[in-house]
Amino acid sequence: MRLASGVVWADRIGMAALAIVTGFSILLLVAPSLIVLAVSIEPRGYISFPPSGFSLRWYEAVFANRQLTDSVLVSLRVAFSVMLVCLALGVPAAFASVRGAFAGKGALNAFLLSPQMMPGMVIGIASLFFGAYFAFRASDAMLILSLSVFCLPFVIRIAMARLAGLDPRLDEASANLGAGKLETFARVTVPQLAPALLAAGAFTFIEAFDNVTVALFTSDVRARPLPVELYYLVQFDSSPVIAAISSLEIGLSFLAMLLIARTVGLDRLGR
Amino acid sequence: MSTEALRPPPSRPLSPRRGAWMRPLVGGGLWPAVPAVAYLLVFMVLPIGTLLLFGFVTIERGRIVGDSFTLEPMLRALSDPLVWRLMWRSFWVAAASTVLCLLLAYPVAFAYGSLRGVWRTLLLVAIVSPLLTSALVRTYAWLVILGGRRGILNQSLIWLGVIDEPLRILNTDWAVLIGMTQIHLPFMILPLLAVLSERDRRLEEASLNLGASRTATFFKVIVPMSIPAIFAGLALVFAVSYTNFIIPQLLGGGNYSTLAVQVYEQTIVVLDWTRGAVLATLLLSTCFLFVLAIVSLGSRLSRWNEVRR
Amino acid sequence: MSHLVIDNVSKSFGELPVLRGCSLSVEKGSVLTLLGPSGCGKTTLLRTIAGFITPDAGRIVVQGNDISDMPPNRREVGYVFQNYALFPHLTIAANVAYGLKVRRTSRAEVARRVEDALRLVDLSTFADRYPAQLSGGQQQRVAIARSLVLEPSVLLLDEPFNALDARLRLTMQIELRKLIQRVGITSIFVTHDQMEAMTLSDTVAVMHKGVVEQFGSPLDIYDRPRTAYVANFIGRANVIPGEVANGHFDDPARIATQAPAGPAVLVVRPENVTVEPATAGDAAPGWPGTVTFTTALGPTVEYEIDCGWPEPLRAIAPRSPGRPQAGPGDRVVARIADPAAAVVLRRQDGAHVH
Repeated sequence: MRLASGVVWADRIGMAALAIVTGFSILLLVAPSLIVLAVSIEPRGYISFPPSGFSLRWYEAVFANRQLTDSVLVSLRVAFSVMLVCLALGVPAAFASVRGAFAGKGALNAFLLSPQMMPGMVIGIASLFFGAYFAFRASDAMLILSLSVFCLPFVIRIAMARLAGLDPRLDEASANLGAGKLETFARVTVPQLAPALLAAGAFTFIEAFDNVTVALFTSDVRARPLPVELYYLVQFDSSPVIAAISSLEIGLSFLAMLLIARTVGLDRLGR
Repeated sequence: MSTEALRPPPSRPLSPRRGAWMRPLVGGGLWPAVPAVAYLLVFMVLPIGTLLLFGFVTIERGRIVGDSFTLEPMLRALSDPLVWRLMWRSFWVAAASTVLCLLLAYPVAFAYGSLRGVWRTLLLVAIVSPLLTSALVRTYAWLVILGGRRGILNQSLIWLGVIDEPLRILNTDWAVLIGMTQIHLPFMILPLLAVLSERDRRLEEASLNLGASRTATFFKVIVPMSIPAIFAGLALVFAVSYTNFIIPQLLGGGNYSTLAVQVYEQTIVVLDWTRGAVLATLLLSTCFLFVLAIVSLGSRLSRWNEVRR
Repeated sequence: MSHLVIDNVSKSFGELPVLRGCSLSVEKGSVLTLLGPSGCGKTTLLRTIAGFITPDAGRIVVQGNDISDMPPNRREVGYVFQNYALFPHLTIAANVAYGLKVRRTSRAEVARRVEDALRLVDLSTFADRYPAQLSGGQQQRVAIARSLVLEPSVLLLDEPFNALDARLRLTMQIELRKLIQRVGITSIFVTHDQMEAMTLSDTVAVMHKGVVEQFGSPLDIYDRPRTAYVANFIGRANVIPGEVANGHFDDPARIATQAPAGPAVLVVRPENVTVEPATAGDAAPGWPGTVTFTTALGPTVEYEIDCGWPEPLRAIAPRSPGRPQAGPGDRVVARIADPAAAVVLRRQDGAHVH
């Protein structure tokens, strides 16, 4: 079993290549956000890197811009509504697909998660056309309804994962100790599910808040949500104001990430 | 006291009511899923049905004109060389970006499996934070990085003396490719993370013990075991890249177009809903075909693996 | 009237029969063990008593009341789960208080009884911790306290020692036995470990393929197994095929038996077999054979002897340093030391040995 020394060299080259690619990928993942943060504190009127100084003037500009602050309010309202709709629909659905015993459960699961397979644009255009058919114009309501389709699988997936991880014997233990079905649900299931619901809610909120692909088609033209506003801004302008808004968004998503990390764990998002 | 003293009772039929408690309060049957299913039927299935329909009928004032079913718009689109050119570009950009994602993602996921403690957490934050940052914000970041003479990349490269003249990256295929790859990278890493971080290290030790080098172990043991995750990631990244219209629009510039961009422009700018619907139908159906191809290739490869094992 | 009677209980999961007419009874304050290999139906029977499973036929009677139709949350039957099933989101005190709170017991009484229950299992100082912060043995005691605080009429324990390591297991078995004696509660254990069954129980029910094969005191089952299966499951046994004629089994010692004439098996414990070197002119009846394998275990030696049967004859003999012992290849004669301790069973019973 003597190993040729060439093999060892190949291993070293392989390990080095692995380390280099990993480093490059991490840089690629993190750098853009950091650059946006850096650009947002640029005191001059155009983008430069590294920033020539420190200034909060672009943040002030964001808050002075009535159109932008209004769009933030629209987005907050819409994202919150979408979160509520998705939790209300998704959590019971996750119960059925994890704990239910009926024929066609696989088909049900596939259907419930099928919006994941739909590009946001297709959901957006389809909602727009469907609304038009009933003379229902793009509006906050249409935006909430279409975004909820887009976001529903996130809630269902997170809730399903948590529910599947619950020990069914805990329900039996509760019954054995004298609790009825309702009481078991309230005292055993809900408290254990709570962190997952918090995470699902946060994730849905962020997705709904950030979404452009659906919102471009279904949002009210007169009261655009922030991402749509930003989309038009980016197309015609590259002033550091956009970097300032973007930095605020990055801050928001970091809060959500902390919340998710504290509750269900970040590594669960991908499953 | 012996059990013989008791007369055996008659066999009781099992009544359906008994044991019903075993099903937890919510989730015993189908009914908790009914609201969600109804919602998706009304707000996803019907709208998508309408979208598909709009390509084949004439609409006036939001109403279908009776007896107006026609294949003409679809045939016109299929015979339009521009549509084919756009579809080809959508395909190769998405495919190239998907492959790039895999090449960049695999080492990261592999490294994650070997890290412990704080480093592991930091790496996870680096992977997940872009996912929670708006794609639009990240596209904007690439505008800033790749932008013309003042773009950060050009500034840095000139400052380093690597180049004399600024590179023209923005508004080319390259910009779109770079942006797509970076923006969709987390989608590729996450499925890989799940399998690579929970892999059975004894298999690798067994491989080393049997005389395989680390490189051979990597390609003969670790990679084959992660094939299902690889293909799940490939399918997801391809689908989102193929149908993305924001990145090509912003990084590709005003004259750059793909099939997805065309769908947007026909619907929102040109307001030709029939053509928009036809192109959307083409986009959706070709996307499904490609994803199906990726998924079936993946399951064939992992079946081959199972047979070999 | 027995405290708990299981009367002719049957259950099938789909086409698969899991319990086939099981009948048992437990006296008040005594400990019964359901013993059998995995898949024999012992846990299913226990879960049926708790009400998690509804039997297809038969009755479960506690203190004269038929509880077969009662939902599990009204049964007043304590159940200790194999993994203890402690609520991870509740403290130890809240876990123990759970059943009392569900019963809307007054706050003061809950506090008092939880304190008593935790003192009983010696965990008073752990009241404010969470289950994840406790060791396996401590978790088990919490699970027991959580059931006992409700003063159930029966305590059911599903392989309670499985999750513990071997060293802790023995200590906990003895502790638990003492606790049950102190509380005086009727208990049913499920286990696949015959030593555990012997340590813990007043009566043992050996189960096999959904049937109670034998039901009696541990020593009674050890000494007088009713089937070859039981003989092999409780301790080890040589099962020697033969014939019964004229009230005698056809072994060299011609053991007397009341078994009817016909095909039969002789069940002999290895410690009831003596091994001596084959010497010419030895007149005492015995089985001649060749030693094939020996294992010295300190105080004893185990022999495997080829007597021409499909299975080797096993014998355990005391070992002393000075005395030479037989080795592989040696010709020996094996004899039954105490014919009264050997059991003759009809061959039909022995038919389902393997």
